[in-house]
Amino acid sequence: MKTFLTGLSLALAGALAPATGAEARDLLVTVARPDNLYVIDAASREVIKDCKIGSEHATPGITVMSPDGHVAYMLLDRWQNVVGVNIDTCERVFFARQSEDKVIRRSIASITVSRDGTRLYTVRNPVRHHADHYEVMEPEFAVFDTAAGLDAKPIAIHPAPRRSTLMAADDTGKVYIAGHDIYAVDPETGETGVAIANASWDRPTYSGPDVLAFWPIGTQNDEFMLLYSAAVFTDEKQEELADFVWGYETVDLKTGATEIKDFASFEVIMFSAVRNPNAPNELYGVYTQLSKHDVATGELVKRVDLPHTYYVINISSDGKEIYVGGTNDDIGVYDSTTLERIGEIRLPSGGDMSVSTLQIVQSE
Amino acid sequence: MKPLNQKADRVLKAAAVDKMDEVRAMQTVTAGCATTFDPGWEVDPFGSVAALCQPMEADLYGCSDPCWWPAQVPDTMVTQPDWDANANSAARDWRALGTVFPGDSNT
Repeated sequence: MKTFLTGLSLALAGALAPATGAEARDLLVTVARPDNLYVIDAASREVIKDCKIGSEHATPGITVMSPDGHVAYMLLDRWQNVVGVNIDTCERVFFARQSEDKVIRRSIASITVSRDGTRLYTVRNPVRHHADHYEVMEPEFAVFDTAAGLDAKPIAIHPAPRRSTLMAADDTGKVYIAGHDIYAVDPETGETGVAIANASWDRPTYSGPDVLAFWPIGTQNDEFMLLYSAAVFTDEKQEELADFVWGYETVDLKTGATEIKDFASFEVIMFSAVRNPNAPNELYGVYTQLSKHDVATGELVKRVDLPHTYYVINISSDGKEIYVGGTNDDIGVYDSTTLERIGEIRLPSGGDMSVSTLQIVQSE
Repeated sequence: MKPLNQKADRVLKAAAVDKMDEVRAMQTVTAGCATTFDPGWEVDPFGSVAALCQPMEADLYGCSDPCWWPAQVPDTMVTQPDWDANANSAARDWRALGTVFPGDSNT
């Protein structure tokens, strides 16, 4: 992926083990080629687990964590299979093969776990392979029992919006899907509504939004947040450009409350962003630069160039450190105040992370 | 009769195994996984090159893994799944990434 694209952004994963004592520490979790799940002590920059996943292929490595922070659920094998691995033991505890025989089912980053950890949800896109052509079938919202073990099958399947990407679940039980709009789904019935109008937004002086979404982060601020960019015109005739803006749209995963807001002019590309859990007005975005925005004032606080492009970003629980990953085999650590590079973690396999997620959980 | 393209070749093979009832005329079926055609590595959203990923190797698998730009990068999701088999690091192992041809395709 490269320029600014079309897609949809951000999700949630679940989060944070109940480790809130003084000894609680942040762990970074990511996937890299050829077949590695890494668990890293964020403070010491040490790789503390290097799990051989046993995947057919490590792509895409889209990862969400169980709410207790112990199981990494990964979308692997070229966007088809869901693999759950206990990050304490490297043991495989969950496996769902989504494709079968002539029907290939891929999930384009569409995976999340319920807030109680008992259900895993995917949106998958079935295509039947015939002798001379593909038959594109209807997308499916699949519900799995996370206790189903190594041969998990859906316990329910509902219709799903076409062209879905990231997902997140909230405390009320709703599941959000980023697609043309941000949809809210009742996983019990499949009933689907619009939580945030996106492609269908009613902003007469705006172009349609452009949204990129591969990285289910946002757990630190307990939100499902996507960035959008859009052209803003001087009036509804949309003939004269007034600005090109960045904005965010977000769902509060504790309450289900939504918000959509512009926060900056479009000056550089950002592939993913997080907000500081202790100061939600601070938004950090990454691509070839690392940018810090104050979304309350619309101010660009600081921006620094990075040694190379990074796709995915996350933030420490105390809000003091920023982690950037994806693309190659290194995770950069930045001071959230100065945006100075204060550390670096090299993945032992030397393999690319590509589009894989950089998750963060707390552990004792 | 000799097939001139992959579709025609598939039709002949379908006939040989009595699967002609599955054959469809090709019209609007997307033959691959990508439905997007961004400008590519030549141009960024500002009409220049400064905002492209730096270096391009940082972005190589980010394009081929999600089948982002089929015109410039082999589709490792569907048609060329082994293109990156011997190159875990795009920046260091790019010499192991070969050219692909229709005959190599998985489809």
